[in-house]
Amino acid sequence: MQTNNMTQGNGAAAKAAPKYHKMGNLTKNYMGYVMVAPFIIAFLVFGLYPIANTIWLSFTNTTLMKQSGEFIGLKNFQSLFNDKFFYMALGNTWKIWLTNFIPQMAIALMLSAWFTSSHLKLKGVGFFRTIFFLPNLLLPATVAVLYFSLFNFYGPANQFLVRTGIFSEAFQFFRNTTFTQSLVAFIQTWMWFGNTLIILIAGMTSISTALYESAMIDGAGGWKMFTNITLPSLRPVLIYTLVTSLVGGLQMFDIPYMLTDGKGSPNNSILTLNVLMYSRFSSSKGHIGLAAAVGMCILIMTTVCSIFIFYVLRDKDAAKEKREHKKMKKEQMKYRKAVSQ
Amino acid sequence: MKKLIVLILASAITLSCLAGCTTTPATTETTAAPAGTTTAAPGDTTAAVPAETTAAVPLTGTLKIWSFTNELQTHALAFQKANPDVKVEYTEISMTNGEFQTKVKAAALTDDVPDCVALEASFVREWVESDLLADLSSLLPKAQEMGTYQNTIDVGTFDGEVRALSYQTTPGAVFYRRSLATEYFGTDDPAKIQTLMGDMTKFQDMAKVVKEKSAGNTYMVASTGDFTNLFYANREKPWIVDDAFVIDPMIDQLMDMAKTFRSEGYEAQATQWQEGWFAGMNDSLKDASGNAKKVFCYFLPTWGLPYVLMKNAGDTAGDWACINGPLPYQWGGTWVGAMKTAKNPELAKAFAEFVALDETNLTNWATGVYTNAYLKEIDPSIGDTLVQNPGDFVSSKVVVDKITASFDNSDASKFLGGENSYSGFAAAAPNVSARLMQGSDDAIQRSFNDPLENFVSGKMTKEEAIQAFKDAVQSEFPEIAVS
Repeated sequence: MQTNNMTQGNGAAAKAAPKYHKMGNLTKNYMGYVMVAPFIIAFLVFGLYPIANTIWLSFTNTTLMKQSGEFIGLKNFQSLFNDKFFYMALGNTWKIWLTNFIPQMAIALMLSAWFTSSHLKLKGVGFFRTIFFLPNLLLPATVAVLYFSLFNFYGPANQFLVRTGIFSEAFQFFRNTTFTQSLVAFIQTWMWFGNTLIILIAGMTSISTALYESAMIDGAGGWKMFTNITLPSLRPVLIYTLVTSLVGGLQMFDIPYMLTDGKGSPNNSILTLNVLMYSRFSSSKGHIGLAAAVGMCILIMTTVCSIFIFYVLRDKDAAKEKREHKKMKKEQMKYRKAVSQ
Repeated sequence: MKKLIVLILASAITLSCLAGCTTTPATTETTAAPAGTTTAAPGDTTAAVPAETTAAVPLTGTLKIWSFTNELQTHALAFQKANPDVKVEYTEISMTNGEFQTKVKAAALTDDVPDCVALEASFVREWVESDLLADLSSLLPKAQEMGTYQNTIDVGTFDGEVRALSYQTTPGAVFYRRSLATEYFGTDDPAKIQTLMGDMTKFQDMAKVVKEKSAGNTYMVASTGDFTNLFYANREKPWIVDDAFVIDPMIDQLMDMAKTFRSEGYEAQATQWQEGWFAGMNDSLKDASGNAKKVFCYFLPTWGLPYVLMKNAGDTAGDWACINGPLPYQWGGTWVGAMKTAKNPELAKAFAEFVALDETNLTNWATGVYTNAYLKEIDPSIGDTLVQNPGDFVSSKVVVDKITASFDNSDASKFLGGENSYSGFAAAAPNVSARLMQGSDDAIQRSFNDPLENFVSGKMTKEEAIQAFKDAVQSEFPEIAVS
């Protein structure tokens, strides 16, 4: 970034020009700080403070029914790791997320490849994109109620299945753990694949068609082009989708909570970590400390997994290039200093 | 100049972030979409009547009331009529999965605290045993004067302090279909059916007869959940004794009976409070193949009659009768407490007194004076569904004795084919005992639903179900010793 040494101007010019502050090779413009300040303040107050408070709470035994809480160190975490419901919730959360994410990603990639393909020339792409995105706009509470009444013992699903003869008698859908877990995963996929689709389409349209054309000339088939051109170019988009889906998936609450009785029945099969946290919080004693401890575990897990994703999917070539570039700049600086002295 | 505009815009953005902070609890309740804050069907209505500025009436101020049904709203409107200078802000929060309790607990130590809260039987003890409710013991003399039933006072008392009062007493009953009784048992006379249903064994025998005579088209009850209350209410020991978890032998009997009912097909698997359960009340229940099914009887307490059965019975009105059933029990009931940290403690206490102990209010409540038109006169914005049908069994013996005869020709009586249910309740009410009620009852009993259902459907053995129950209770109450 080229900088002008405005401080060398005459008095009148210096007054008229905005104030610059010189620090090494950078000039800092205070207007930037002013612009960013509102967000920073809002984040510190509404984002950082609650996080810090939760971290503090997880080390206390605060409850809603008492007026104060004392510091008890790692006792909350101890009781959490001794609680088999915690491990159940952990397993369920990962299971439901993976069952949701893998098909969702596959479908979204496939659809976006077709929608942006230059030689398929599909009609009505915009229409389908809108339709696929619509479930994302529904409120989770509404969706949960909808599916609950669909698969109720006296609901339409049973009526349809029995009258057409597929089942001989009505089936208690929500007493079956496999079904309930799959339903939650399905609902999540159904609600979010449109969102993923749109992001992937946006990513794919930014890949230059010249790459594909030259690949076609070299004789590459559709699949080869997909794995060697599309996917690598989509890397940042994939990282984004992966990380946001991970964060959302590990915090899955609304559908599992509202679908059955709020305790993860049947058999705690849809007891996810956030449902566990909420049930600790809303239990008759209102264990805020325990709930905060669960929240902390979710936070740590999410952070570790996100870092892992970033590491695995990092662009090794670009990183190498960056290092070379930095080295070169350093040499340049050294040379300039040597010359100017 | 440019800098100035930029600065103004920046501060405007900052301020708009902070503007979302302060909203009245009523609106935050209505607009909050996150799971767990669903509101019940009639919707959140805040009854706001502009306060008049005359100083003639002693009670003034704003009263914030939080409840989980719209029952207390009717009381609130009546209170407003009696005290025109009081402005009532009413918020309704559903308690299906415990959202109401969570919200009140969360608000208890903040500025959003309501003045009065409604406390349902499932969690009233928890609150009475905590230190969040104000002391209402000064109202005890009046309660005794009004002949408030002892169990109602007992539930609201802890450590010698009265902390919650109720406008209703809720002995339980069984409501059965007269036409079906005549068909299967040859009589629909309540006294004779009561003899037939003398205890749980006889009840099960009746279920067998119903199934045989109807070729499986009529179920004795809508679900096994219908009679769990009977077993819970007739235990010998409470759930928690000396900080240890105790499973009473009645639970074993409950599991056996529930299992029999499921395997023999005596119950419709129409879980309480869901579509199928209501459909059985008005004969619109159809199984998956489209065959019409009927339900012989429902276990409902006093408030079940006007609030649930009469509302949903449709064309079957007049075909019902009411008896005490195989075992005495109580179910539900709503208490009113004043929060200790309320902004208007005096007003809150006055409301509690009005709701539970005011003779005119109780009489009006029970005799159906609070029609929709009457309530609309007080506040036109309440909509067309708010009404208190006559027949609710109030907690004051004085009022009950006064009005029992008036129910001989009431709507409730016509609904029950001429039977005066009020006198039946009046006979049962003094025998209802709340001595085993504890704050943790609701959480424990809710934790039993899943294991019981697993056992009943054959997915778990009895030992596994009991173990799952113990695990759930231990997880919910880490400080209790669960063996």
